[in-house]
Amino acid sequence: MRRWLLLLLPALLAGCQVTPTTLPVAEPAPAAECRWPAGPGDSLARAVTALEAEGFLVRHTDAALGLVSAERARSTLYHDHGVERLPRFGGFVLGGSGGHVASGVMVGIGIGGGIWPATDEATRIERVSVVVGAQQVQVSRDIRLFDWRGELRESRSASDTAFCRELRDAIEAVPPQESP
Amino acid sequence: MRRIPVVILLAVWLAGCATPTPPEPREIHLAATPETTLREAMDLLMERGYVIRYADGDLGRLEAVLGRMPGYGVSLRVAGQQDGSRVSVVATRGGRPLAPRVLDPLLTDLQTRLEPLP
Repeated sequence: MRRWLLLLLPALLAGCQVTPTTLPVAEPAPAAECRWPAGPGDSLARAVTALEAEGFLVRHTDAALGLVSAERARSTLYHDHGVERLPRFGGFVLGGSGGHVASGVMVGIGIGGGIWPATDEATRIERVSVVVGAQQVQVSRDIRLFDWRGELRESRSASDTAFCRELRDAIEAVPPQESP
Repeated sequence: MRRIPVVILLAVWLAGCATPTPPEPREIHLAATPETTLREAMDLLMERGYVIRYADGDLGRLEAVLGRMPGYGVSLRVAGQQDGSRVSVVATRGGRPLAPRVLDPLLTDLQTRLEPLP
């Protein structure tokens, strides 16, 4: 009678240990616009100035490698419609009867919702890295969304056409005399 | 008791979730300077959508992250040797180390770029 339950448990066991077999890559892949041939005026100084003008906070630079890493935080609204993205597992039961005390773990799947508001305040953090090389300029970006409790709710790669085009225009708009 | 196998299975299940694996870096030797190695590694990682958080040519370090749930990271250590560099790489998923073999395609690409086959 309970045999099907025993068959289900190893399946759950296997579920715990799922790890990728290859190094994950961004999906979709970074847009072609996120890499362009370096012009004579392209320099790390201009890229840093452009990022600062776009509201980014520079977190790290390495002039020899031509790298600048920056991030930008914005307050935003998170529309979760009261639905938990992941079902919650858990529960601990301790009980006793007739002189016996037993403890056990109860597994349940619950979907929260109902009492939570449909929108929450959240923080959106963009992380960008730009490498200005001798031959080309390369950009990559990701976006993470943290809810008001500081929990990571969303994380995605965002090296898209619109952002890279905008950044390229911003770098090219920086007057060349600002570069040393 | 009939419930004993169920209890044992549950205990094994939970243990399977919690067992940490020690980080084992994947190491390779390359016939290129540490700075060239870092430059190519940065290029390869950014091609794959990784954001470089930190890289230093003098210290021979690189940290890159990928914005996919639950968060992936790659960290490289490059040490110069008389005829090239020794690279050790660790990949993590949600802060936990991944099996070193997941890095093989990346390291093969790095090797191909730095030591083109005749």
